[in-house]
Amino acid sequence: MSDRKLKIAHLYPEVLNLYGDRGNILCLKKRLEWRGIDCEVTEVKLGDNQSLSDFDIFFIGGGQDFEQEVLLNDLRSGKGDSIRSAVEGGKVFLCICGGYQMMGHYYQTKEGEKLPFLGVVDYHTIGGDVRMIGNYAFRLPAESGGSDVVGFENHSGRTYLGEGVTPLGTVLAGYGNNGEDKTEGVRYKNLFGSYSHGPILPKNPAFADHLIKTALKERYGSDELEALPDTYENEAHDYVLDKVLRGDMSGD
Amino acid sequence: MNGHNPVKTFFAVAACRLTRWGLRVAHRGGTTLPGRSALLFDKKILEVVSSGMEIIVVTGTNGKTTTCSMLRNALQESGVDPLSNISGANLLTGITAEFTALATLSGKPKKHFAIVECDEGALKKVVPLIHPKVIVVTNLFRDQLDRYGEVMHTLEEIRTGVGLVPDTTLCLNADCSLTSSLANGVPNKVFYYGIGPDAVDQKNTDESNDLSDAKYCINCGTEYEYDYHTYQHLGGFRCPKCGYKRAATNIEVSSINKISPKGSDITVRFQDENQDITIGLPALYNIYNGIAAIGAYEAAGWKRSDITQSLGKVASSFGRMETFTYNNVDIQMILVKNPAGCNQSLSYLSSMENDYVAVFCLNDKTADGHDISWIWDADFEKVANDKNCKKIYVSGTRATDIRLRLKYAGADESSISLVEDENELLKAMTSHSLPVFALPNYTSMLSLRAVVGAATGKKEFWKDQK
Repeated sequence: MSDRKLKIAHLYPEVLNLYGDRGNILCLKKRLEWRGIDCEVTEVKLGDNQSLSDFDIFFIGGGQDFEQEVLLNDLRSGKGDSIRSAVEGGKVFLCICGGYQMMGHYYQTKEGEKLPFLGVVDYHTIGGDVRMIGNYAFRLPAESGGSDVVGFENHSGRTYLGEGVTPLGTVLAGYGNNGEDKTEGVRYKNLFGSYSHGPILPKNPAFADHLIKTALKERYGSDELEALPDTYENEAHDYVLDKVLRGDMSGD
Repeated sequence: MNGHNPVKTFFAVAACRLTRWGLRVAHRGGTTLPGRSALLFDKKILEVVSSGMEIIVVTGTNGKTTTCSMLRNALQESGVDPLSNISGANLLTGITAEFTALATLSGKPKKHFAIVECDEGALKKVVPLIHPKVIVVTNLFRDQLDRYGEVMHTLEEIRTGVGLVPDTTLCLNADCSLTSSLANGVPNKVFYYGIGPDAVDQKNTDESNDLSDAKYCINCGTEYEYDYHTYQHLGGFRCPKCGYKRAATNIEVSSINKISPKGSDITVRFQDENQDITIGLPALYNIYNGIAAIGAYEAAGWKRSDITQSLGKVASSFGRMETFTYNNVDIQMILVKNPAGCNQSLSYLSSMENDYVAVFCLNDKTADGHDISWIWDADFEKVANDKNCKKIYVSGTRATDIRLRLKYAGADESSISLVEDENELLKAMTSHSLPVFALPNYTSMLSLRAVVGAATGKKEFWKDQK
């Protein structure tokens, strides 16, 4: 199986680069390399108009509000449509925080202004005064691998899923989508949206491998994947999980 | 200053002194409690006890403590002992404590000069009370994100503070597009410093990390063009659309003649002369701290030779390039708190020509920021793949996270050991007969510094001054 290869697109790395989320790309890359699977990472930046149809995994992170306008203009210039058809075509998407919000219909600011987003999935986000910050944990359902995910959330937007839209997981401790309904993130086809920084993948190797398997299955029809010695990953994961389940959200 | 009540002042000063004395008798280095007790009696006590003083305030993401220590050192060399706060006490309470403890019971300051390190978020509360002569802003990088949200938010906090003191001279890093934007539309006098285009060898500048905190023009959103970079987003920026660009500097480093682990030799261009100056601390970011300190001195109108001659003798400040010797092994402690500072320190380690041991300590307490995800934005690859790095230790509440980061950076898993207890860590890290570089974040530095300091006979931090 050593002739397998996955192509990863890192969307807007020059703008959406907050909170260490580029660690997700590094994590996917290393976990593929350690198994002898080739991996090619392409940065797709503002103004790049290449075809998105040949990528297997897309990653999109969060950025500063200040730079969002630049980004929305680029999405309107056609890239938004390519992203939409890649999602509909079953490509794997990992969308974090601002990148997650962007896949919904709109973001309504505190002042009531509606910023139209891509509307790939039926949900929207409302800006609030309270920032939801801290380590948190949520449980994935079986179709997303069934593991418990730990991460760090930091958002003032509250996201509400539309009727019948599936969340990525159920909050075990922390806020999640909106701090009200115990949902966290979204799962639509092979799009995985979450508020989790941390970054999400290195400390959650089961979830990282679930993404890899999903992408392998899409491209090769088989999701065979050799296990890795994940001692360091699991110890870091368990430390945060224990901490948040104990209710120790700070560190003091 | 009118309308201050002498009775309130008296109780505020007395309460502050008493609390501080109590803490010291109890051998505790508490820094906020004395300030809190003073504020209990008089919310504006700081305005009373700083009245008439000449004050330089230093703020910005990186370099505050070292720049302050350079300024303090210059005044001390010239025979003046200024008031100054210690790092870790740079919020309103800590600064209030320092000024109040050094005032008479009627609230009169006993000293004329002060060098104040101020947290970016606290600036707007502090400066309207102390009316500084100069505010130095060193730079803006992404920092303890869960405290401030984003770097733009921090910048706006500083802008609010600056807006409250129109008579203060701003001393700004011209190479930082975020910092120098503080001059936009304010009536303040502005003094710019920086590192000039000919000082940095572009072949050796560090552009491997393309994570810029300021890639797009703060005024119009267009991508900046650069004539040169020093590091991260610092350098000769200009916006091709609206024309916002690096300002003409009042003083700048015109050449860097030598960089060694002991320090740097530079040439500084003043408006009326060029001077060769030695900075007694290593690495490029200390050249920035040095030129910031010279800039502040010039902006305050203080005697130039005091600062230029003292920079060569400046000692490392608490946990920042501070050196120790334990069992004949040299230990250098380098505080790292964010990707920009961390990358500079990692570059410093990887520039070593001899073998060494690297130690990374990571806590996630409130003073550190609960979010430690920034470690994935720093280039640990520089050390993880450095053949001179023979052994790595990790410690701190989030030791497992830093260990994982190092694994993904390419470190051999067997080369990394996790040691929780600092006493054991000290023994282990010095057991290789190799020099040790310890890179802790804030609270892990305090605890490691306490253990290493005690083992090597160095003082506790609150005994460091006065």
